[in-house]
Amino acid sequence: MELILIPLVVAILACFVPKQMLKYFSLAGAIASLVVVSVHALAYCGSSHFVTLIDPGFITAFGLSFKMAYDGMSLFMLVLTSLIFLLIVLSNFNNETASSKKFVAMIFLMLFALNGVFTSMDGMVFYIFWEITLIPVFLIALWYGAENRKKALMKFFIYTFIGSLAMLLSLIAIKVNAASFAHSDLMAVELSSKAAFWIMGGFFLAFAIKAPIFPFHTWQPDTYTVSPMAGTMLLSALMLKMALYGMVRWMIPLAPEAMEFMLPIIVVLSLIGIVYTAILAIKGDDIKRIFAFASISHVGLIAAGIMLFNKDALSAAFLQMFNHSLVAIGLFLAAGILEQRLNTRNLYEMGGIAKLAPKFGFWFAVIGFASVSVPFSSGFIGEFLLLKELYEYKWIVGLLAGTTLVFGAVYTLRAYQLSMFGPAKIESFIDLSWNEWLVFFVLGIVVLALGLFPQIVFDFVGPSIENLMESVELSKNIVK
Amino acid sequence: MEALIVIFITGLISMFVAMAKKPMLVLLTAVLGILVAISSLTYQVYSPYFWLDYDGLYFGIVENMYGIVALSFGLLLILVGFQSYKKEPEHTGEYISLLLFSMCGVLIMFAFTDLFMFFLGLEIMSIPIYVMAGSRKKDLKSTEAAMKYFFTGSFATGVLLFGIAWLYGAVGTFKIGEIALAIQDPSTHTSLLFVGVLLILASFLFKIGAAPFHFWSPDVYGGSPNVVTGFMASIVKLGGFLAFLKLFTISFGGIHDFWSPAVMVIGILTMFVGNLSALRQTKFKRLLAYSSITHAGYALMAIVSTSTQSHFNLWVYFLAYGFSIIALITISKMLNDNEDDLENYKGFARINPFAGFVMILALLSLAGVPPLAGFFGKYLVFSSAIVDYPVFVILALVNSGIAIYYYLRMIVTISSTSEQNSTELENTKNSVYNVVLMICAIGLLAGGLVTMFN
Repeated sequence: MELILIPLVVAILACFVPKQMLKYFSLAGAIASLVVVSVHALAYCGSSHFVTLIDPGFITAFGLSFKMAYDGMSLFMLVLTSLIFLLIVLSNFNNETASSKKFVAMIFLMLFALNGVFTSMDGMVFYIFWEITLIPVFLIALWYGAENRKKALMKFFIYTFIGSLAMLLSLIAIKVNAASFAHSDLMAVELSSKAAFWIMGGFFLAFAIKAPIFPFHTWQPDTYTVSPMAGTMLLSALMLKMALYGMVRWMIPLAPEAMEFMLPIIVVLSLIGIVYTAILAIKGDDIKRIFAFASISHVGLIAAGIMLFNKDALSAAFLQMFNHSLVAIGLFLAAGILEQRLNTRNLYEMGGIAKLAPKFGFWFAVIGFASVSVPFSSGFIGEFLLLKELYEYKWIVGLLAGTTLVFGAVYTLRAYQLSMFGPAKIESFIDLSWNEWLVFFVLGIVVLALGLFPQIVFDFVGPSIENLMESVELSKNIVK
Repeated sequence: MEALIVIFITGLISMFVAMAKKPMLVLLTAVLGILVAISSLTYQVYSPYFWLDYDGLYFGIVENMYGIVALSFGLLLILVGFQSYKKEPEHTGEYISLLLFSMCGVLIMFAFTDLFMFFLGLEIMSIPIYVMAGSRKKDLKSTEAAMKYFFTGSFATGVLLFGIAWLYGAVGTFKIGEIALAIQDPSTHTSLLFVGVLLILASFLFKIGAAPFHFWSPDVYGGSPNVVTGFMASIVKLGGFLAFLKLFTISFGGIHDFWSPAVMVIGILTMFVGNLSALRQTKFKRLLAYSSITHAGYALMAIVSTSTQSHFNLWVYFLAYGFSIIALITISKMLNDNEDDLENYKGFARINPFAGFVMILALLSLAGVPPLAGFFGKYLVFSSAIVDYPVFVILALVNSGIAIYYYLRMIVTISSTSEQNSTELENTKNSVYNVVLMICAIGLLAGGLVTMFN
């Protein structure tokens, strides 16, 4: 219970905290929620049962059961969210926005909603939390975003809202035959494969827009570029994970009957996304856009892996989600630092910064390598396993998806080289401040640790994944 | 019934109190009267097996619940209008008592069991509104609104009476229960009955502003004083819809197959007409009018649905809708500009953050974003129709997607930095407005909780 409520309480209290204390207050709030989640995670480690947070035991006329619980997967996402959230607060610590009441309230509202998304075991509760996340991130970008933000943000909101409506339709359609919106009740519904196709399609539209997966990605580069740094981080490192988690928890288990139709479609779309956006990233000259496209490319690989729906692929997908969040925070922090200090995002106006700011140069390189998935970084294990699974599914799929490694190296190193090396086009560049250094340091440590001991993640989510797959098999067999 | 009497007497008293030329005293009388009426209704809702059946009026739990909502909305709207009372103290008495009389009509519209009573309720509700719409006598637009509303409204009333006459010819009774019984018998299914039902349907569709009977509503909403616009959008609509639901599900439930396709087609048409017209609007109240047309389209889903919960679904729906409308009307009243241009709202949220926040809530609730009350209303109405009318529901969801555009445009407008008239907006801070906005905000945020009861 306190898992979900702490961020909400912090969000409300933030409206009453004096301005000069606000950034310390938000840091304390973020640390508190990370500590609480870690305590839960340590207590849970290795088991596979559900830990109930809320279960009032009755069903309203509305069909709500209010069930909230976590298993290994949810808890993994919670740890990820809290850690990344702390890093976002930390990297934003010295910015003007950190001492704005509205801003602090909004980011904690976001954390509250995200925790709700990952722990809800009731379709409608999930949907409600899912929609709540949209509001803070939209308002943050609207209030603190770049000059030309209006059009991009309207596109973003309308896109995601339409996706959510499709998901709502799917939920209503399943609920017609279910006793309540509880996850177990919805899973028990038998669907004809035609109905399952449409229901899964509705979920997929919502998740594909949020993730985003080609061809639903067009809102993403614009929104990422106009959002303030913290907004971009929330979008790429946290909101996006909701979609991937939703695919594992809701889309596939609720309509497994449609897997044989949807699997090839989604895998092909993901593949197109991987290759197409990587090429766009290679051609780009706006550093935030390049990282935005890189994000789509990486997410495509994770989505394709999730659709295979076997234990190894899912474990690797979870590891890769963690890695993607870490890398996204690092890359967008680097992009934010460059933008803030140079007032430009154009790569061709940068250059020679590594000499002026050696600390920044070093840590940017570390994150760049993590993004390229060099061995000993967490990305290496995750991508390698995902590619192996895709190769076993169809060799050509594995081969095409494997290009992500090559393209990834090209666009990341190109962005690094153009911005950091070459003749200096600017006179001075302030090196990392302590909070930025700390963020990079933590990222570096975690990336290395997960690269060396990925088994921690697999042990943590593995039993729960098996559990989920068993219950999906079970509901499939009932239909047969 | 007590509530009805209390409201009526309060209306009379306010007229006499107004002779003292102290507008605050009138306001106080009205507020007290409404509070007494609300508490009597609340008491009746919570006392078990309490109902009152008069010949022609029936106050059961549904009617009382609707009554509470309508009276609360009326209370909020009367409070919102208080600055105009200060400006024109000599008219305060008429103004408030007309609103109270109209509320009596709404209560009769909720409780009728007889077509005579229904007709009386409709007229008692409408005639004060015709006057109120033109209460800014020197304003051309207000006069235009009153004329348009009166002519089209009385025409619709005529059609309704004509329809009732045909219906009487077919079934030989005015009681809605007896009509339902008579319709069970196929021998009454003559053209007399069908023409009567269609005429009654047409006049209802006019009252709730469904396309293609909606042409009056943008002009009337746009031209009327703000409080009257709010009254029409929230309370009159509530009365119209509950009467519609009662008459068509109770009396004409036997020929559901006859009228439901027509209502469905009109519902779909209404949603599209309202939304597509709203997309390019630049005036605030006209935008509200088109948005209200769209919402009427969604609410028609509750009418065609065969669910036994429809009255509850509709109640939740209009509860959420009313809070949104009242919040928006309060804000337009705060700005106090006759131009009514959307451009004037630029930067509003920056100058008055609290009101801006409530406005964002109200707009998102209208758009149906959870966890706001609007979402729950929409969900209940949509899900009650999904089995029988999947096409209707899918098109309604498509329309929700279209509608988000213009709500969002307004949110973006009020949040943007304003270059102009910031001094004018400075003096919008006012405690009564803030109280009303606070109530609306609580209603919008916590409104979803009502779905847990029932």
